[in-house]
Order: sequence, then C-alpha cells, then structure tokens
Amino acid sequence: MRRLGYVWQRIATILGLLLLTIPALVWGASLDLKVTPDLVEIGAWFRGHRVTVSGMIPPGAEAVMEVVGQTSDEHLMRKGRRGGLWMNVGEIDIHNAPSLYMVMSSNPKLLDTAVSEAPWGFAALKRRVTLSGMIDDQEKPQFFDQFLELKGSEGLYTTFKDPIKKSRAADDLVPVKGEFRLPTNVKPGTYEVCLTVIQDGQVSAKTCGELQVKMVGFPAMLTTLAYEHGATYGILAVIIAIVTGFAIGFLFKGGGGH
Amino acid sequence: MFGSLYLPLAGNGINILLLFGLGGAVGFLSGLFGVGGGFLMTPLLIMAGIPSTVAAASDSNQIVAASTSGTYAHYRLGNVDFKMGIILIVGGVIGGTLGVYLIKGLRAMGNADFVIKITYVVMLGVIGGYMFVESLQSMRQKPVVAAKRTAAEPAKVSLYNRMVQSLPYQMRFDKSGVTLSPLMPLILGVFVGILAAIMGVGGGFIMVPVMVYMLRMPMHVVVGTSLFQILFTCINVTIMQSITNHTVDLVLAIILLLGSTLGAQFGVRLSRRLKADQLKILLATIVLIVMVQMLASLLLTPDLLLAHKGGH
Repeated sequence: MRRLGYVWQRIATILGLLLLTIPALVWGASLDLKVTPDLVEIGAWFRGHRVTVSGMIPPGAEAVMEVVGQTSDEHLMRKGRRGGLWMNVGEIDIHNAPSLYMVMSSNPKLLDTAVSEAPWGFAALKRRVTLSGMIDDQEKPQFFDQFLELKGSEGLYTTFKDPIKKSRAADDLVPVKGEFRLPTNVKPGTYEVCLTVIQDGQVSAKTCGELQVKMVGFPAMLTTLAYEHGATYGILAVIIAIVTGFAIGFLFKGGGGH
Repeated sequence: MFGSLYLPLAGNGINILLLFGLGGAVGFLSGLFGVGGGFLMTPLLIMAGIPSTVAAASDSNQIVAASTSGTYAHYRLGNVDFKMGIILIVGGVIGGTLGVYLIKGLRAMGNADFVIKITYVVMLGVIGGYMFVESLQSMRQKPVVAAKRTAAEPAKVSLYNRMVQSLPYQMRFDKSGVTLSPLMPLILGVFVGILAAIMGVGGGFIMVPVMVYMLRMPMHVVVGTSLFQILFTCINVTIMQSITNHTVDLVLAIILLLGSTLGAQFGVRLSRRLKADQLKILLATIVLIVMVQMLASLLLTPDLLLAHKGGH
C-alpha cells in the first residue's frame, strides 16, 4: 500500500514536469530562432567572425543566448611547487567541457554567478564538467575556476557584457537580437546556438539551432596534406625552407663582400 | 584584412607583420652568433598565442631556412669547417636519440619537467656566466690577471690538454686550425645532442661555447660550422614532427623564415664588423637574460595553475 502511494507520487511528479515543459515546447516552435550566418568559413585571411542570433520572445520576458561547442576531454597540466620551484607536477583531465562557450542575456543579472541553479552560464558548466587525475575532491572548485580562466584567456569561454537588444513588440512578440564574435582560434565543427526565454524567473521556452564552422581553401588543403601525407608535408616544408634560404642568400650575394 | 593570416595547424589567426618582425629579429641573432634561436623564438611564439607544440615544431622548420641562408653566407666567407661539422652532426644525432629515451624514462617516473627546468637554468647560467666573464676579461685586456690565472691553475689546463692529446686518431682540421682526435667532437656532439633533446632546442647556444672553449676553434669558423650543424638537426626535427605529431605549420614557418633569412643576412654582415669578444659578450648577455626570465618564472607564483601540455 505504502509502495503504491510512492508510485502514484512519482507519476504525479513526472506529469507535473511534463506540464511544465509543454509551454516550453509550444513556445520553442514560435521563438523563430535565426543564426546569421549559419555557416562560417575559415579561409586564409580568417580573423574571427561576427554571428547574429535573433528570435522572438513574449513581452515582459527575458532572453539568454548561448553558443556551445562540441564537448570533449582535455588533458591539462597542473602547476605546483617542487624544491621551491614552480613547474608542471601532474595531469588533470577535464571531461565534458565544450570547446567553446559564449553566453549573453537581455538582463545582465541573469548571468550573475550567484544564480547557480540556472541552466546556462558558467555555473551550469560547473555542474556538467568533471575533473579527474592528480586532483583531490576539495581542490576541484579551485581548478574548475582555473580552467575557466585559462579558457577565458584564450577567448573561448566568454560572457558578453553587451546585453541582447530588444526591439519594439510586433504581433504581441518582442524581437531580440544578440551578436557574438567568434574568436580566430575557433575550431571547425558544429556549434549549438540556443535561445532560452525566462518569464517570472522560470524557463518558459528554449530552442536551439546549428552553426557550422568549416575550414576551406588553402588552410583546408594544407591541413589535409599535413594529416594524411605527413612525410610528404615534412619534406615539402624542408625543401621550401632550403630554397628560400638559398634564394635570400643568393640575393644578398652582390652586396655581401667584406 | 591583410594584417591577419590564418595558421591552419596552429588553429589561430595572427598578424603577419608581428610574425615577420619576430622572424627578422631572431634571424638577425642567428646570423650574428651562429645559434638557431629556438631558445628565443619558441617562447616568443607561445606569447603571441601559438600552441607550444606547434611553436617548437614550426620554429625548427624556419631554422632550416635561416641556417641555410646563414651557412651559405658563411661558406662564401670561408667560415664553415665541414669536416668538424659532420662529426658534430653524427654525435648530435646519437646524443639526440639517447636524450629522447632519457626524457621518456624521466616522464614515466614523473621527474621530466623538473629535470628540464633545472637543466635549462643551470646550462644557461653556466654558459652565459662563463662567456660573459671570460669575454669581459679579454676585452679589458688584463694580461696580469690572465697570467695570474694561468699560474694559479696550471694543472687544470695541462690536464685538459693532456687528455685531448692522449686521445687516438689525431687529425688536422685545417679550417679551424686545430689538431685533435675526431672522438673529441663526436663525444661533445653526443653531449650537446642529449642536452638539446632534454631541453627541446637545436642546441646552438650550447654548441657555440663548446666549440670555442673545448674545441678551441676560432669564433668566426664556430658561427659558420654551428649553423651547418643546426641545419641538419632541424631538417631531421621538421620531418619527424610532420610525420609523428602534425605540428609543423607551414604558413607560420614561411612567414617566420622570410623574416629570419633576411635577418640572418644582416646578422652575418654585422658579425664581420664585430670582434670575437664583442660577439661573445652579446650572446652571453642574451643567454643570461633568458636564464633570468626562466628563473623568475620558476620562482614567482604563476597567474594560472593550469597549462596546456607541451610547454615547459
């Protein structure tokens, strides 16, 4: 009897969660998320790229936009002191960390790190990312912060200060637009771009789209050669270097008498 | 638009003029002193945002160009002792292979980084300090001091000379103007090769003082011969890195080598105008500055306690 009560309680909880999700699913379809451009090409003169994310949210709601790279494991070295000298003392493995994480909101308060339950921002990353290797449990929060700082210094994890711009409402919906600047060291791959709507402090809707980053032209050709024909690539690199060295030496021959 | 160029293997875009300038400055020093410049260029590239593994491997490729240009220029001036250079190369290859295995063993024991750091600081400190003091004394031309020193250490000098002369297969090296056993440069080549493998550099800044002080070669022949030896070391490293690690960024290397080959030519020209002691004291100063910078990075608490693999 007691067990039956427990089962009913679980079913009621699941139904409750489903009911909460329905508005999000309904709204997800009408958020009208657009990623412009949805394909970024890395060519020889690539200097990063501006990506515009736009959508529609209900009046009075707030929005959060995220660009999230594919997750992978990273192997980093931790520094420590040995014999009074600072050096690499062991390996720390970072699991489930996205290659890129960018976030912005229509209200900067939504990105406050104190809002630790939010499903976006660095606090949410902290719940997903795990650390292992030469690290104690009590050190993990400190080294997660160090990881964020390392990624931040490389321009790969960013909280944009410029809030999402809201325009005048049309058809009972408010157009929102945010601009992300992809850094020059962005890796080729598929990125998830998400727009989350927050009403009365709760997530009322979320929708995601894709952004492709692709290497093209000369950089793509060179990368293929380097990875698929390493020996040819190495010999080519040496020949280019020797020929250039001789050519410059020959050019200076005329004026080189001492 | 034209200022930034994408480096596909480094996975980053970087200013062309900055790379060209870095290449030019290090190439200038390479031509001037006969060092590859790896111990300067790699840290500078890392500071510019290039991953450390790509920086080191691509630097080896650009050193091929700079040392080709420098060797050719010195060859025209009659400053390359090919016989000595080939023996040093053979020793360097043997030493480099031994060094790679040594570092592999140390890494397995977890002591590699400590050994690398200490080797760097000690070698840079000893070489830079000795060259600096010796050149300064020589420039000041204090024959009294020199005489006193010779009188105070007669046993040390004669012991070294006796040892060198007692080695078998004595051979004349005309370009260098010395007669010694080929075992001597072979053993020293092995020693430098081991250190170069441990430190992850071409070894030019160790090889130059070894040739000057231990093989007693004249400074101008040392510079040309050192560049000749570095050329072959770096050809080997470039091909090996391309095959095993895919870390040679050709675009990065080409920009650097255009700068460095031009810089090397100016370096060679200036080297002819400077006296040997002036060259030695300049190199010693640069080596000591790098040593102090490295020592400071070892002693001061770093900003970040996490780093990517591959850097020292």
